[in-house]
Amino acid sequence: MGDGSFVSLVGPSGSGKSSLLRAVIGLQQPLSGTVETNLARSQVGILFQDDALLPWKTARDNVALGLTFNGMERRKALAEADAWLERLDLAGFGDRFPRRLSGGQRKRVALAQVLAMKPSLILMDEPFASLDAIVRARIVKDVVALVEREKISVLLVTHDLEEALSLSDEVYLLSQGPRARITEHYPVPIPRPRDPVHSRMHPAFAPLYERLWADLSREVDHRAEAA
Amino acid sequence: MRLDPRYAWMRQLAAFLALLAVWEAAGRADMLNPLYAPSPSRVGAALIDLFSDGRIWPHLEATFSAALGGLALGLAVGILLGVVAALVPFIAELLEPVMTLLNAIPRVILAPLFVIWLGIGLASKVALSFILVAVLIFFTVFTGIRQVDRRLVERVITLGGDRWALVRHVYLPSVASWVLGNLKIAVGFAFTGACVGEFVAATQGLGYLLSFAQSTYNAALMFALILLILVVVLVIFGIAGRLEKHVLRWN
Repeated sequence: MGDGSFVSLVGPSGSGKSSLLRAVIGLQQPLSGTVETNLARSQVGILFQDDALLPWKTARDNVALGLTFNGMERRKALAEADAWLERLDLAGFGDRFPRRLSGGQRKRVALAQVLAMKPSLILMDEPFASLDAIVRARIVKDVVALVEREKISVLLVTHDLEEALSLSDEVYLLSQGPRARITEHYPVPIPRPRDPVHSRMHPAFAPLYERLWADLSREVDHRAEAA
Repeated sequence: MRLDPRYAWMRQLAAFLALLAVWEAAGRADMLNPLYAPSPSRVGAALIDLFSDGRIWPHLEATFSAALGGLALGLAVGILLGVVAALVPFIAELLEPVMTLLNAIPRVILAPLFVIWLGIGLASKVALSFILVAVLIFFTVFTGIRQVDRRLVERVITLGGDRWALVRHVYLPSVASWVLGNLKIAVGFAFTGACVGEFVAATQGLGYLLSFAQSTYNAALMFALILLILVVVLVIFGIAGRLEKHVLRWN
C-alpha cells in the first residue's frame, strides 16, 4: 500500500483484524511470518477506537506531540498543530484539555494528531464506532476528503459493511478465526472524489453489499457449526 | 422547606455558634466541671495566653519541622521505592511483603522504638512522620504505575516516542496526579506522626504540650492545642488543595 488507495478489512469478531493492524505498526509481534512494508515507521499513523489523548495535555499539545518526537522544534510544532486543528474545524479549541471536549471533538483532535505527521498510510481500528450517527457521518466525510486530497492510503478495520463499502476502493473479507485468512476480495467501482453518504446510492453499492453480507454470514455460520 | 445548598456554610456556622453559646452559658451557670469541659471563653483565654508570651513559637516550629521533614522525606522515598518496585520485579518481590506488613499495622506503634534508636529530639519525630507517609506514597505510586493506561502508552509509541518520552509524557504526569491526589492524606499522616512522636517523648512541640496539659489536668490548654493543630492542618490542606487544583487542572 502507499498509493493512496482506501482498503477495508471486514470479518467476524475474533478473526484477528485488530491484531493485524497492531502487527503492522509494531505494537504486536506476529506469531509466525513477517510484516513486509515499504514504508518507514514514521510514515504510518494509527487511529484507535478510543481517542487515547493524553488527558493532561491540551488539544494543541496533543497534536504537536508526534511532531516533537520526530525532531521538530516545539514552537514550530505548536504552529503546525494549530493549523491542523483549524483544518479539522477545531479553531479556538487548542487550549482545551480533552476532558472539556466532546467525543466528536476528541476524535478530531486524534485525527489531527495523526494527520500532522504527514503519514503515507493510516491504519484505522474501528475509529468511528463510539460516535453517534450525525457526528460520525460528518467526521467520516471530512476524513474521506482529507485522505483523498493528501493522497494518503488507508487500511480500515471495521465490522460495519456499509462503512467499508462506501469508503473503500477495495474490501477484503477475513475468515473466522483462529487461523483466519483472507477469503474474498471485492473491488468497489464507485468513482472518487466520494461523498460517503451519496456513494451508498450508487448502483454498484447494493449488489456488492448483498454479496458481502452473504459471505460474512457464511463465515459466522461456520463458527456456529464448529462450536 | 427546601435548603439552598449555597448557604449550607451559614447554617453550619450558625449551629456551631449556637452550640458554643449553650456551652458557654452552661459553663457560667456552673453546670459543667471546668476540669473536664472548660467553657469556650476559658479555652480562648488559654489560646491567647499561649501566643501572648510567645512561648508557643518554638513548639510550633518543632512540630512543623518534624511534620514537614517527615513529609518531604516520605514523599521522596515513597516515590523512589514505588517507581523502582514497579519497574524491577525483583525489588517488588522483596519490598511488597514488607510494605504490606507496615501498611497493616498501626505504624504509630513504632514511636517508642524510634525514641530508643534516635533519642527524644527531632529525629525520632521525623522518623515516625516519615514512615507513616512513605508507606502510603509507596503504594500510591507502585499500584499507580502498574495501572498506567496502556492505550496512552501505545499512543505515544505509535507517534514515535521513545522510552524517555514515555516517562516524561505518560508516567511522570500519572505519578504526579496520584501523589497529589493523596497529598492531603499524606499531610494528615505527617502531622499525626509528629504529634504522636512528641506525645511519646519530647522536650518541645505541640504533642509535648498536649502531654504536659494531660499530666497537669489542664483541659483548657488541651482544647486550645487541639484547636491550634486543627487550624494548622486546615491551612496546609488549603495549600495542598490549591496545588492539587493547579497541577490537576486538566481533570
